[in-house]
Amino acid sequence: MPRDQVAERDVVVQNQYGIHARPAALLVKTAARFQSNITLEKDGVEVSAKSIMGVLTMEGYHGSRIRIRARGPDANEAVEALSDLFEKKFYET
Amino acid sequence: MSLTVRQFYEAGRSSLALEMVQGEEHLDRAVPEPAINRPGLALAGFLRYFAHRRIQVLGLAEVTYLKGLEDSERAARVAAFFGAGVPCVVFARGIRPLREFCESARRYRVPILRTHLITGRFVQLAAVMIEELTAPRMRYQGTMVDIMGIGVIIEGPPGVGKSETALGLIARGHSLVADDLVELRRSSWGEIVGTAPDVTRFHMEIRGLGIIHVPSLYGVTSVRREKRLDLIVRLERALTSEEEERTGLEVASRDVLGVPIPFIQIPVVAGRDISLVVEAAALDFRLKQLGHDAVKELDQRIMERLGREGVGSRD
Repeated sequence: MPRDQVAERDVVVQNQYGIHARPAALLVKTAARFQSNITLEKDGVEVSAKSIMGVLTMEGYHGSRIRIRARGPDANEAVEALSDLFEKKFYET
Repeated sequence: MSLTVRQFYEAGRSSLALEMVQGEEHLDRAVPEPAINRPGLALAGFLRYFAHRRIQVLGLAEVTYLKGLEDSERAARVAAFFGAGVPCVVFARGIRPLREFCESARRYRVPILRTHLITGRFVQLAAVMIEELTAPRMRYQGTMVDIMGIGVIIEGPPGVGKSETALGLIARGHSLVADDLVELRRSSWGEIVGTAPDVTRFHMEIRGLGIIHVPSLYGVTSVRREKRLDLIVRLERALTSEEEERTGLEVASRDVLGVPIPFIQIPVVAGRDISLVVEAAALDFRLKQLGHDAVKELDQRIMERLGREGVGSRD
């Protein structure tokens, strides 16, 4: 069996309205494509990146820092894909 | 949709008390404009805007007027009336057709019908019946239920559990409209109405049991004859994460007889009670109809909160 990858990266919420329902859905859908276990951590609180309720509870306002962590066969790819969403401001302004 | 005099006659025999007077061999004439006309003005000699392509209904007024005319004048008016090319004539109030009508109708191959209903009532009922006869229709593969006033079609691949889901809903007090095959029609005001094919109405097939008669098992309130369609729920064995709706912010729709019907897909996974999910979907739809969109409101609240936190520094 291939060894699990472990990956993590810090990102900043850059879109104006923060992680409200639409960006949250985009995050969760993207995360669900990967087998790895993925979490988001903000201010010491960690939630599953595959749970919409979890992601919404995180209150990722504009400018807040979030740590993406993944563990599993496709962890690197997953972190890459999720960071990309933050980078692209969830296709918002 | 087109209408023949035969369809009108057959459908109206019981509901409109229609009887054949003469011209049974001409019943296959088409009614080019499926509607009713009272030809008072045409019989009075004004033929310029005569709606001659419709079913013509004569009552006491028309017949009394004609009876008061000179014989030759009456014959000419009736000949002109038939000459315009009417598809069918109905006498209301059980009036016996005038001799001139019988003769002209034979010459122009027009069937004559009669009803004992009074003219106004007949016109009303006939209009509704014609509307039903000519409404655009289709058959839809799926099971339709009425969930607290919301008409829902459950569709999906064979064996995914459509009927079992419907049964779960029936056991929870909702009612069955049609199992497996729904007849849909579009009403003139643009609603889609579903009903069961006559033969199988109120029956459903449950795998492992066979066919059951729903009202015998669950009581008269467990079935409905027809229901407006509000929502289509598709059950799928597996959805890609792209297809799966996670917030409900975006509602897809599907075109049914030209009317967009809200459409949602639900993944069927072992251990999930799909009846409960479909019931929740219907209730949520109801809530949205009342102008209360739970997701939008939640989103609004979250955005306000995020805005406040973004401005103030937290630490």
